[in-house]
Amino acid sequence: MNSIILLTSFGILNLFIGFSKSKKIIMPLVLLFLAIVFVVNLTGWNDTQTYFERMLTIDNFAIAFTAVVVLTTILVLPFSQSYIDQQNDSLAEYYSLLLFSLVGAIMMVAYENLLMLFVGIEILSISMYILAGSDKKNLKSNEAGLKYFLMGSFATGILLFGIVLIYGATGTFYISEISSAATAQSNNELTSPLLGMGLLFTLIGISFKVSAAPFHFWTPDVYEGTPTFFMAFMSTVVKAAGFAGFYKLMSVSFAGAQNIWFPTLIAMAVVTLAIGNIGAVAQNSFKRMMAYSSISHAGYLMIALLSFNDRSENAIFFYSLAYSVSTVAALGILKLVADQRDDVSYNAFNGLGRTNPLLAAVMTISMCSLAGIPLTGGFFGKLFIFSAALEQELLWLIIVAILMAAVGFYYYFRVIIAMYMREPSGDRVPVGSVATFALIFMTVLTFVLGIAPGLLSNIL
Amino acid sequence: MNEIPEVIRTIPLQYYLFFSSTLFVIGIIGVLTRRNAIIIFMCIELMLNAVNLLLTAFSAYRSDANGQVFVFFIMAVAAAEVCVGLAIIVMIYRNLRSTDINILSNLKW
Amino acid sequence: METTATTHLPSDYLPILIQFAAALGFVIFAIVVTHLIGPKRHSKVKDAAWECGVESVGNARTPVSYKYFMTAILFVIFDVEVIFLYPWAVNFRGLGMEGFIQMIVFMTMLMLGFYYVIKKGILKWE
Repeated sequence: MNSIILLTSFGILNLFIGFSKSKKIIMPLVLLFLAIVFVVNLTGWNDTQTYFERMLTIDNFAIAFTAVVVLTTILVLPFSQSYIDQQNDSLAEYYSLLLFSLVGAIMMVAYENLLMLFVGIEILSISMYILAGSDKKNLKSNEAGLKYFLMGSFATGILLFGIVLIYGATGTFYISEISSAATAQSNNELTSPLLGMGLLFTLIGISFKVSAAPFHFWTPDVYEGTPTFFMAFMSTVVKAAGFAGFYKLMSVSFAGAQNIWFPTLIAMAVVTLAIGNIGAVAQNSFKRMMAYSSISHAGYLMIALLSFNDRSENAIFFYSLAYSVSTVAALGILKLVADQRDDVSYNAFNGLGRTNPLLAAVMTISMCSLAGIPLTGGFFGKLFIFSAALEQELLWLIIVAILMAAVGFYYYFRVIIAMYMREPSGDRVPVGSVATFALIFMTVLTFVLGIAPGLLSNIL
Repeated sequence: MNEIPEVIRTIPLQYYLFFSSTLFVIGIIGVLTRRNAIIIFMCIELMLNAVNLLLTAFSAYRSDANGQVFVFFIMAVAAAEVCVGLAIIVMIYRNLRSTDINILSNLKW
Repeated sequence: METTATTHLPSDYLPILIQFAAALGFVIFAIVVTHLIGPKRHSKVKDAAWECGVESVGNARTPVSYKYFMTAILFVIFDVEVIFLYPWAVNFRGLGMEGFIQMIVFMTMLMLGFYYVIKKGILKWE
């Protein structure tokens, strides 16, 4: 709760700081704000508090995911250096929108009432609509903004209809009370059609937001058009918060009605994995590949959602952390490279190993982590998810996921091949000192997660 | 004067359910078939209003104010969405002189 | 009074339907008949758009200035916030001091936003 208040006030404060002449001061200040929020958030550990008539619960689950999204934002920020260098007029607004959207993300992971889930999703999404279209003169960015907006608000409408039907069937918005109503109804074999329809619509709405197939069609287009800096934020924070909220809804509210949604979600997980991985293979643009890759990681996270035992919470947490760190590193490097070479395809990375050994090394490690090679965080993320699913006897689903992970090697390694085995396609890419520090930090974190996963694997 | 929830309850709940669902479906069909961004947007608003209506009906039938509070939040959020959405549409209109979504085909796979 | 409220049947709405049909019928009747029996004379002056006696200028379908649009958007935001004030005002006594402080915080946020908008120069008309 303190982190929500702090983020809101910092966001407003930051808007007014934006009126000052100097653009240089804003980024260090925002980093400081976020560091404060990060620390304040962690002080609430093991101290469960409820707020607003039990509508928000700040428990360890919420704190852990808040830490993930705040840390991700801290790591994304250094890559906005080019906006500062170009004296972008809207810089302070961009940062404020990021801060505000974090408020939405926190509400999504801490909600206890569907009202808070809805408001959280909307705070996050509306900020993202603006940021997707923030490059006003660029037609691709315009298009991404409009597509994201139309698709997103369409999904909101469907989600709301689902929430209303659930309310009609159970008479409450509190997820724990919905749970007892849902369980009672499914035990009687008298599943209310209202509840079933409501669950279906809610599932569709949230799947839209976390870009799970078959509701993923907007993802590649929107991510490709969005400025890379904001794409790094979108594909990590939105996904982590979205899955935390999704998991909370399913595990708290509809655990009793599992027989209704389980087959649907399994089918969706398989389709998401297939579309994400096979779609990524077909791409020539690195940015678009990363968009498909984010769909495929949504597929892995859905397996954790399905396994549904005391391990899956930890698995989702660990996976989102490992995935966020590697994705931010990869997209941060893409931003630096694309700013200089004006290209987002694989060719932009040609010969990066010779011109920028550090960038190439960091990129290699984050690609290994995304692909799930041992000694990186991504490997243990996948391992935890698979072991959680194994307990649920979902062996065939794990085999599908491992096959798809093997497909993933192909497109992740294409970048590595381009970096080390092709002739350089441009000069040395300039990297700011803060960005260098962030990249090194992310590499170290990936290794720490990969070598000592026990540090974070059992905290929830 | 009767209490307003009582007046609402004089009409059977199914009528509200069918009416709201019809509105909602009209909205969905509009979103899927129309080609003008602003009209698509209006259809989305129609979906939200169908939801509001149904919430109010459920709320009155269950004598539970939570549903009506939810309506306030939907209205406020819809207003924020209108602002952002119209701003995005105007931005596109200034660049392309059109709000037909068929023009938007730069991003394809 | 309670008994009448609960006994409305769909057939009780028949008078409304009849009224509706009568209204619609009269409108259609008036439009059709005036078209048929009225004399038609065309001249340049008569066909011109009438604008309070002032000579009309230009096309009515010209784009509206961006400024109106910004004002309209701001109106939508600040207008809708009133829906939160209304239930608060109804329960003013029940919510007491705490509710008052919460509403002050809410309005402060709103006013900060308003101040930001003005400072940003969105309401400047050249």
